[in-house]
This record gives sequence, C-alpha cells and structure tokens, in this order.
Amino acid sequence: MIARFDELLGRPVSMRALALLRVLAGPAVLLHLEPYLSDASHGETYQDSFYEPYAEAYPELPESLYIGLLWLGAAAAVAMSLGLLARMATTTTFAIVAYNLFLSTTHFHNNAAYLLIVLGLLAVAPCGRELSLDSWLRRRRGQAPLEPTAPGWPLWLLRFECAAVYGASGLSKLVDPDWFGGTVTWQRVVRAREDLEAWPLPDWAVSLLTDRGFHTGAAKFIVLTELLIALGLWWRGTRYAAVWVAVVFHLSIEASASVQVFSYLGIAVLLIWAVPSTRDRVLRLDLANDRHRRLRAAVGALDWLARFRVEPAAPGAPLQLVDRDGTVIAGAPAVAFTLSRLPLTAWFALPTLLLPAVRRARRAGSARIPVAAPAAGPVADR
Amino acid sequence: MSAQYRTSVTPRVRVVGRRVAVVAVVAVQLGLIGRGYWSDHKQFAFQMFPESSTWRAEVVRVTADGRRVPVEQPWSGYRWDELVQDRGLRYPSVRHHADAGLDNQLAFLDSALEWVADNTPRDSETRYLEATVTSWHNDDAPSMEVMRSSEREVAG
Repeated sequence: MIARFDELLGRPVSMRALALLRVLAGPAVLLHLEPYLSDASHGETYQDSFYEPYAEAYPELPESLYIGLLWLGAAAAVAMSLGLLARMATTTTFAIVAYNLFLSTTHFHNNAAYLLIVLGLLAVAPCGRELSLDSWLRRRRGQAPLEPTAPGWPLWLLRFECAAVYGASGLSKLVDPDWFGGTVTWQRVVRAREDLEAWPLPDWAVSLLTDRGFHTGAAKFIVLTELLIALGLWWRGTRYAAVWVAVVFHLSIEASASVQVFSYLGIAVLLIWAVPSTRDRVLRLDLANDRHRRLRAAVGALDWLARFRVEPAAPGAPLQLVDRDGTVIAGAPAVAFTLSRLPLTAWFALPTLLLPAVRRARRAGSARIPVAAPAAGPVADR
Repeated sequence: MSAQYRTSVTPRVRVVGRRVAVVAVVAVQLGLIGRGYWSDHKQFAFQMFPESSTWRAEVVRVTADGRRVPVEQPWSGYRWDELVQDRGLRYPSVRHHADAGLDNQLAFLDSALEWVADNTPRDSETRYLEATVTSWHNDDAPSMEVMRSSEREVAG
C-alpha cells in the first residue's frame, strides 16, 4: 500500500498543465497585490490603520522596505508568468504573497488563501521547463531542453486542494440548516432587490428570484453543485462535466458577488485536471486542404496543454483523429473532439460531444487500432 | 527516463520526504477545514458566503469624565473611518452584511476597538471604547451585545 502510494507520488508526469497555470497565475498575483500597491502609491500601508498580527513575533518591515517588497512581488509575478528564472521567480512570488497575507488577520480572504496554495505548489514543481523564457533561452544557446516530466506529487496535491475548496464550501453549506434550507440565499437576494431590479430582467424573473420557495430548491442545487464538482473531478467519466459546471459556477459567482481573483484563479486551476501526458493524440490532416490547414493553425495556436501531434495525411484523405486509446474519429466529430480538448474552446465544444452523430462516430471508432507511424514526422510539434 | 529516475536519482530519503510532505499538507488542510466550524477566523477553511447575517454598532468613546462620544465625531485629530478602513468596519453605525459570518465580523470589531484604543496616543481623554452591537444571525431575531476595549491610561 505504502509502496503504491510512493509510486504514485513519484510517478513522472507532464508538468505542462502546471507550466500553463504558472503563466496564468502571474496576473492573479498582480490583481491580488493591486490594492496594496495602490495604497502604497498614496503613501499608505496596512500599518496606517487597523490591523491585527497573528503573532507578536512576526517580523514587520519599515514602511519603505515593505513597499519595496510589494513591488518586488509584482516584478517576480511578471517574471513567473514569463518563465524568466521561473523557479526563483515563483518561489519569490510565493514568499512575498505569504509574508503579506500573514502580516494581519485582516489581509485574509479565501481567494488569497487559494492563490497562496497554488503559488506554493507551483514553487515546488519544476514547471518552468516549458512555456517559459528559460526554455526559449536554452534553445537559443543550443542546449538540450530540460526533461518536461517530473514526479507528480505537486500536481496530485494541487488536485486535492482544488477539490477541497469546492468540497469544504459545499459541506459547510450542507450542514448549515439555514443555508441548505434556502434562508441565506433568499435573504441575500431580497436585500439586493434594488440591484436586481436594475438588471434587464423581466418582472416575473425578479419575483421568482425573490420568492422564498424558489430558494428552498435553489440552495440545495447550489450546495449539491459544489459537492458534485468536488467529487466529479476525481473520475474520468465525470471530470469533463465537473469542469464544465465549475466554469459556469465561477462565472455565476463573478456576476453576482465581489470575489477578487477567485473566479479567474478557480477557472485557471481547472487546467490541472487534464491528463498529465502530452502529444498523445494524433491529428491527421491533408495539408493541401484549406479547412484542414485552418484546423492545424487553430491547434497550433490554442493547444496550450500540448494534447495533439499533427501528422500529414495523404492528399484527399479525410480529417482523422486518433485518441490516446486508439479510437479513430473522422470528419466533423473529430473537429468537435479536438476543440473539446483545447483550453480556450473546450467549454463551448464539450456539449457537442453529446450530439448523437458525435457519439456514434466515437463508438464506431473505438475499435482499437494501432497508431500508424507518421509518414513524414510531426509538423506541429512545439 | 522514468525507471532510471526512480532507481538512481530518487534516494530513499526523498521518497519518504515526499510522502511525509504530502500527508502533512493533506492533514493540515483537513484540520483547517475542521477548525473553520468553531473558530471565529476561518483561515483555509473555505467557507464561502456562509451567512446572510447583518450587524451594526454604536461605537462610542467613554471619556474620563463619563461622556459617551460617538466615534463618528473626530477626536484629537483622529477619525474612525481613517483608523479602521478594512473588513466592513469603516461605518459601523450603518447596518452591514457580515461577509465572512457574524462571529468573524464581531471578532474583527472587538480587535478594532482594542487597536484604536492602543494607537491613538494624542487622545488624552478616552478611558475606553465601547460598541453596542445589534446583530441579526440570518433570519433570527436581533440580539445585542456590548464590547469594550481595554482601559486606557488617561492624563489627569
């Protein structure tokens, strides 16, 4: 049992998703630090008004040094996103965000805590070997690229933390009769009725949203959604549905509440649920065909998780996708499937996989066939 | 790469260290989620939008001669809304939503009274600050409580 656990933690997996998350985490850090930097630009810091240290012994810097540290944190976040001295930049960003967060109980917010967890796990993962200036500079110097795989434990831990955020939130609402019974959401909406009426909503919708009975059901739906996301992410059969619902969930929260970087970060972290292997799907395209070339361009530009290998097909051959299990899909269903695996188009394309034609095509192609050797090598390997 | 990596690069201490680190993080995270159910401050417990509770407070300075002066009135060059700017405490007399729950909100108010009492050295007349808090836990009936800062040393 322990041996299997150790094997899981040490299993080399692709760090691609964490590399992409590293790129996306930089803007989240800048948004997080923005209010502190804005105050600092007016000569104000946390020390000028009520704050509450966690411990007397926690070191506090002179104001000028503190402000300098915040700016260093912002610079490190930019370097982290760019992947310039990626490991050091990520560690520096994490250290400064952590220092600032633990300066005062008043600095604590759930979104900042989540950001800190993400930064901590990015700092311990070697996720600067791809999608980084570091790797670009290595290539320019003619050095061999660094191994893009590493022991998977930071990825597994981040998955645990991601699921824990939804699970903890859902559980706390499930065990609170006021929440599960709808009182909390109902009161929040009723108190915000003026804001609601300012929206372009028909009267019946406003009446429905402020109806007590509606919230009796809606609250249960919200709680169960959070819990289903937390659980659904762990199984392959439900993972895509959980990710799709989680995106809707975050966008709904963003539209209805002020949650700082939580929505952006929450959606970005969903990337880590991609299977941590790369270039294990083959897209065979006739490069003389305009439509195929357009798809190749789209995949080249948007395949941030490096899911696909593009190989040239014989002239006149149909577009063909070979999934990692050997399933072969052709034509429009292959396009739908491809778009469902690109981060930017996935949310729109995933529902199309439920269309009968696409399901039939996937079923028909699931007879496993060996992946043929590429005729002329990959043409879009990045 | 993987077999070589596991056998020659990964020493026993690294395997054990990795195992301990992962178990520790998971245990600490679960512990913090559990702690959120009884602690006023719910760090890393991820209890989002926990309540619809609201509160307001009449905060006064009680002076050495017994006067009760609302903090909305500036004193000795201080203003409450400049001294206490965060966590929804800037205008305590206005009824507010308790964003992170009532217990959390009132714990912050209690700390803020203490902080203001300790960080207003030009004020030589205030003995202590007092907040008379009215709170509404979700749709429960309102409840009242009084909070006080520690006694300050006043001149004279």
